[in-house]
Amino acid sequence: MKIDETTKKQIIKNVLLSLFIYALPIALMFITFSITGQRPWEKKVQQKENVKSVTNKTNLSNGSND
Amino acid sequence: MEATIEFIKKIVENLNGFGFPFLVFFIGVLEFSFGLYKRKWPKNERWVDIACFTLPRLVVQPAVAYYSLHFLPYIFPDAKNIFSWVPFLWGFAIIAVADDLTQYWYHRLHHQIPWLWRFHRTHHSASYMGMAMASRQNVIYTLFFSQIYLTAALVYLGLGIPAIAVKIIKSTITTLAHSSIPWDKPFYKYKVLHPIAWVLERLISTPATHHAHHAATTDDGVGYYKGNFGNMFFLWDIIFGTALISRQYPKAYGISHYEGDQWYAQLLWPIFKSKVEGSELAVDGPMVRVDIDKEEPVIKTTEINESGTTQEKYQLV
Repeated sequence: MKIDETTKKQIIKNVLLSLFIYALPIALMFITFSITGQRPWEKKVQQKENVKSVTNKTNLSNGSND
Repeated sequence: MEATIEFIKKIVENLNGFGFPFLVFFIGVLEFSFGLYKRKWPKNERWVDIACFTLPRLVVQPAVAYYSLHFLPYIFPDAKNIFSWVPFLWGFAIIAVADDLTQYWYHRLHHQIPWLWRFHRTHHSASYMGMAMASRQNVIYTLFFSQIYLTAALVYLGLGIPAIAVKIIKSTITTLAHSSIPWDKPFYKYKVLHPIAWVLERLISTPATHHAHHAATTDDGVGYYKGNFGNMFFLWDIIFGTALISRQYPKAYGISHYEGDQWYAQLLWPIFKSKVEGSELAVDGPMVRVDIDKEEPVIKTTEINESGTTQEKYQLV
């Protein structure tokens, strides 16, 4: 039993539209960032650096609370 | 705004633990108390439902755990939480689309590609709707055709909290769409609620649209197993032209030619086959069998050859 041609064409057409829908929320998010000037990924890098400085072994306490 | 989002996150984290099992149990008790199965839960079906609810958890959950905890870190060791900076609401939108659209496609392909149908047939063989059949799936279908791997990958990349929020909302919508409690009926009955009904039935799966997908008949104005594939969002069916909205509930559910295949065949086909002759899950069964009302009537005759062997002949009426 084979899939009929009309269904096959419909599936291909709809899959292409789906790829656009998958990308839509990601595209809208970056458009919003570019309009509002937000850069949340930079905030994350900064947070990481802060954590690093606390646990840095060159600190006077050498990372220990004693 | 940030405080509100933090508050929602905390609710989401707590609901993930107890919310869903409680919802299923509560609706299940309601359904049985009000006799909504109308005594349509025969012994064989009971075994299929219970086996499908319990046994896949022993296979699928360890598989997903292995994929999330070993496979993904091994393949993408530096990618863990790489997108944890994505704001909650955007993460929610990304996961909701990725998870539910993928499930829409798996579901649709199992109905439209004849070779795939038998992996999904178990979910449609019940002649009733409700909590008892909501988890009824062939284990191969659950294991290999699950959007959970895509969602788990997004969780690994840092979208964990939005994924839990989507899971809770999606579980609630799909559970209520399979339920035998027609919660959407008042929206069709009272004129003042019609605008809400119009939006709801196009946005999410409702008992009316999802029950139509489980109907024993199709193209009769109510039943429509050729479409209404959406799980959480019905919007996909609207966009892709696979929707039928009738605001009615089918008279009969299931598969018209179903004759109670054994629970092990329904759970593990093609590893185990059905003993029911002519079943799609039987050894020599057809890939897809047409509905009984669409079968062409035939006369079966048995002839004895010169060699003494019998031969069955079928003639169209």
